Amino acid sequence: ENSPSPLPERAIYGFALFLGSWFGFMLYLIWAYVPETWLFSLGLTYWPQKYWAVALPVYLLVAIGIGYILLFGINMMRTAPLNSTDTVTDNYAKKQQQKKFQEEAIPALTDIPISEVNRMFFLPEK
Amino acid sequence: MEEWWYRSASGARIALRRRQHSASCRELAVRCPRLRLRSLSAATSAAWLAAYGLFVLTENSMVLSAAIIITLVGLIIYLHFVKIDQESLLVIGSLGIQVTSSYASGKESTTFIEMSQVKDVVINEAIHMQKVIYYLCILLQDPGDPQGVSEVVPLFQSSKPRLDCLIVVYKSCQEILEQRKTAPQSS
Repeated sequence: ENSPSPLPERAIYGFALFLGSWFGFMLYLIWAYVPETWLFSLGLTYWPQKYWAVALPVYLLVAIGIGYILLFGINMMRTAPLNSTDTVTDNYAKKQQQKKFQEEAIPALTDIPISEVNRMFFLPEK
Repeated sequence: MEEWWYRSASGARIALRRRQHSASCRELAVRCPRLRLRSLSAATSAAWLAAYGLFVLTENSMVLSAAIIITLVGLIIYLHFVKIDQESLLVIGSLGIQVTSSYASGKESTTFIEMSQVKDVVINEAIHMQKVIYYLCILLQDPGDPQGVSEVVPLFQSSKPRLDCLIVVYKSCQEILEQRKTAPQSS
């Protein structure tokens, strides 16, 4: 049903987007460069101020730059502090059920409690 | 009493001291590096040079007195509230665990955790700033759920010893905590 192969509908969507984006770009260039008097003489009086032809790209680029810093900051804020139980366990580990041990079978995947992990790693003498 | 030298997570030299008071009582203390005279003089000179530069610009002598007062008050606040000299852990087998932090000004702040509340003392790894560090922490028992952890109390927060020092502390604590299981249960 969902396959990434090329289909006739997808070709049509792609071509329509291609034409639409070229048309939008030409419209933006005309709005930015053609003098206002020429546009008025054609009858197009209700277009936005040309100030926005420069302001919107600047807003967009500054937003992208701030977005990098903001994403880094949000990541740092969302990491659990050292004194939270999220560093030790979570909802899925608390509710897990212990499956019975079967001979010759791969053991089921479970979360090992941190006390046991510590005993395994740090207690045996080298 | 034994003393070993280790490094903290940031590279500074720290000392671990272990004292065995009795079979079920042990004290482990981590001593942080003292405030260096050269870093203190560097910070003071930088602050006073900046204040003198401001004075030359504004011709207002209040800037100089304000800089002196701010430096003195800042140093006192830093020594009393920020600079930790020694962090120690006292584990008493049947009673509980006491955590003490002594500041450079002599102030000591202690926390005592009763043994029935202590589930285990483990070495946990977590993301701190942009690093992953090992730190020792006390897991507190959840009263309703015998397997659950209600709270995590991190230890040695300002000295941040590395894994080799933490393993020594961990083994010492586990020797005492294991006695809990073999000792007869008291009501």
